Amino acid sequence: MKLAMLLFLWQASPVSIKAYDTPNDAGGSITITWELDSSWVVSRIEIYRTQDLNAPDTLIETLFKPETQFQDLGVTDKKPYYYKVLIYQGDTLVAEGRTTEPAISTQQWFNSRRLSVLIILLIYTAFLLYFIMRARVDKNLFIRKIAGLEAIDEAVGRSTEMGRPILYIMGLGYISDIPTVASLAILKRVAYKAAEYEADVIVPCYDPIVMVAAQETVKEGYIEAGRPDLYKESNIYFLTSDQFGYAAGVDGIMMRQRPGAVFLQGYFYAESLILAETGHSIGAIQISGTTAVTQLPFFIASTDYTLIGEEMYAASAYLSRDALSLGTIKGEDYIKMVLVIIILIGSLMETFGIGNHMLINFFNIF
Amino acid sequence: MKKEIPLAITFISGFLLVLALFIPHKPFGNLEEIFNDWYIIVSGFTMLLGIDSLLEYNFKKIRRKEKDAPYSLVLILSFFITLIWGVTEIVRTPEHNPFSPTSTFSKYFYNSIFMPLQSTMFAILSFFIASAAYRAFRAKEFNSALLLVSAVIVMLGRIPLGQGAAPYVITVIFLVFAWYFYAESVGITETGTKLLYILVSVAFIALIYPIGWVYLKQHIPSFADWIMNVPQMAGKRGIMIGIALGGIAMSIRIILGIERTYMK
Amino acid sequence: MTEFFKKLAGIDRRIIYLTVFLATAIPILTKKTMKIEPLPEVKKAYEYIESLPESSIVMVSIDYDAASMPELQPMLETFLHHAFRKNLKVIMLGHWALGLPLGQQALEDIAKKYNKIYGIDYVFLGYRPGVAAVIINMGKDIKSVFSSDYKYTPIDSLPIMRSVKNYKDIKLLFGLEAGAVGDAWIQYGYARYNLPIILGTTAVMTPDYYPYIQANQVISVIGGLRGAADYETLVEIPGQASIGMLAQSVIHLVIIAFIIIGNIGFLVLRRAKK
Repeated sequence: MKLAMLLFLWQASPVSIKAYDTPNDAGGSITITWELDSSWVVSRIEIYRTQDLNAPDTLIETLFKPETQFQDLGVTDKKPYYYKVLIYQGDTLVAEGRTTEPAISTQQWFNSRRLSVLIILLIYTAFLLYFIMRARVDKNLFIRKIAGLEAIDEAVGRSTEMGRPILYIMGLGYISDIPTVASLAILKRVAYKAAEYEADVIVPCYDPIVMVAAQETVKEGYIEAGRPDLYKESNIYFLTSDQFGYAAGVDGIMMRQRPGAVFLQGYFYAESLILAETGHSIGAIQISGTTAVTQLPFFIASTDYTLIGEEMYAASAYLSRDALSLGTIKGEDYIKMVLVIIILIGSLMETFGIGNHMLINFFNIF
Repeated sequence: MKKEIPLAITFISGFLLVLALFIPHKPFGNLEEIFNDWYIIVSGFTMLLGIDSLLEYNFKKIRRKEKDAPYSLVLILSFFITLIWGVTEIVRTPEHNPFSPTSTFSKYFYNSIFMPLQSTMFAILSFFIASAAYRAFRAKEFNSALLLVSAVIVMLGRIPLGQGAAPYVITVIFLVFAWYFYAESVGITETGTKLLYILVSVAFIALIYPIGWVYLKQHIPSFADWIMNVPQMAGKRGIMIGIALGGIAMSIRIILGIERTYMK
Repeated sequence: MTEFFKKLAGIDRRIIYLTVFLATAIPILTKKTMKIEPLPEVKKAYEYIESLPESSIVMVSIDYDAASMPELQPMLETFLHHAFRKNLKVIMLGHWALGLPLGQQALEDIAKKYNKIYGIDYVFLGYRPGVAAVIINMGKDIKSVFSSDYKYTPIDSLPIMRSVKNYKDIKLLFGLEAGAVGDAWIQYGYARYNLPIILGTTAVMTPDYYPYIQANQVISVIGGLRGAADYETLVEIPGQASIGMLAQSVIHLVIIAFIIIGNIGFLVLRRAKK
């Protein structure tokens, strides 16, 4: 029997295995790696673990594919572990390996794979802070004309002349979505102008939290214009949280109440064209804005003015002319130029076959 | 203090979440999940707010006997019927699920009313796309003519009949453009410009056969793919980079308290 | 004459809608299918599924609702036919609560055709809120998210789930996407756990996923009704998508015709103004 065991073990080749603390994690994990010979037809790999080299091993995992790595998630931090790997071809053990050094799992304080993200974020923040500080001194920072935002006053005015209300649609975003926050900034401006012209602003909402924020925003707009008496909370209401139910409801509002100006500002999905085309059919002036790239073509085709992507984000700075906000827009533009240069350099390097360069590794964060 | 406390909460939570992206060590590593869970719980309760707003608005319309009051009545009745029916099926069915196969809610409401209504709303898009395309794809200038031709090529490239129809469509489009440039040239007196317009017109006619009947007849699906994978992708990536940068700037403005429109 | 071209440039919306209705309805009512040459992306998806060994476990995520049903339901049904024919085991779940009944109906109907047994060959887990949290936690342990199936049966008692702990045991995720959940699957499922993913998307969302195909973060994407029809052709089970191809072809040609007519009217009027 012992001879048979010895013969059995004698057939198994040694295999080098490494066990180490899984990097860039919150602990509780050890990674074990080993090598496979290409001549082996691996049927199964057994992985054993022990906390003491003199204690028996416990089988923790059996793999049925020729893998070369395993992550053990059942370990406790700061405790030493030793591993043994047995590789089988059919029922025959072809290789065996054991670690002699203990592997200890710990939590890391920094995810080194995200170093590139941190560097870019710090550079970007530095640009923004620099321009914010510059804006405190030089309050006349130039920002180009954005046609959609310039047209807000005209749209509200025309709607008032026609004796029709203004419809403001905030899309399908939640308050946690940045386009929704940007939309609130534009809503405030619209409410302010509507208060000046004594027009009604109707805001059907997709989300209850957004409804509350919109009510406060419109109220602020009316108060700033000096007409808090004209504010009607019942004009800003929750409609439904169903996408096409919302589209149907808003279309119904458009057909019945015939607004003179329709604002479509926020995050939209497939219902964008339904809303825009219905708005066009009633002859309203339409100003749209979204960061949903797939919906932009529909808005550009169906509405009079479109705020494309980041133009929506610039709206609050553009409309308020607040120096600090304008500073962030400037910073954003400068960092975009930096990114353009990096993209150009990377493209040229790829085009001329300069492989495995620093830029590829730098941006490899996942 | 009314403004300072919310701003402080915004700053601390925003900063912590940014830190959590880089620090796997507990408690930072799990922060995103924890905050997400809190948001889901809170937003569940805010649905009550929404329901209150919806019912109050529509009840008011009925009370005041406004012009659209019948629609409000339909809405309120639908709301309560759906709610009561769904709850009844939760109690009644063995799986305690209104969408189980034995449920009348699933059979008569979901399959017969809800599903057809939702599909219909999505299907309405086809009509609107046709009218929007008819109105928007006009060759007012070079950019819009390019957009028009690209749209036609992609539409043809995506359908099985595309390869058969492409030569005829390209022939018609190029003939229209050729006629237009020739007609424009008639009214021009300056020789150089006149010749240029006539050349462009002739070029359109000359290109009908090689482009329409040779190249696109064979390759329109792959050319449509190229339009989607190369120029379309490039433009979209550019816009997406801008949106991402704008989003970061906006987020920093919110975290630092420069942007306050979301709060009172 | 100018009046005629004015009419061409300004056709009444209702005429356009009526033409679109007829151009869509008549081909669908004839129920004719067309010969289709499948797109390379769909072929790639098909070949990957074909290469999966028998008894491999695949996961299907229902992330759409009734609005996107015409495009995505044929994809789901074809995939289920494909999977059951190859004796793959199917785990179905979803992130859109209102779309899950659609997935469940298809799963039960098609499983019955192949004499598949619930709990052994397929299972329906249902819905849990919190998209990112669900995807991340399933990567560690599926049981931590779904301790029971939709009938409240503990999943430990289901034979199919005994050999499944997390994504390492899932050979493929087939996600049917009408919204943003596809991005979450890629950002969390693929990026953290190397989960192989094939996505079926609506036509309007398909361009959003091209960057992922190019970066090899997904195996492939089956896009829109055309993608569904291609997949039906490859699996040799013509269904609703194949019937819809004739209608789609006709309506595309009708829209192109309207565009050309509109441009003729527009250009003639522009010349007349000059």
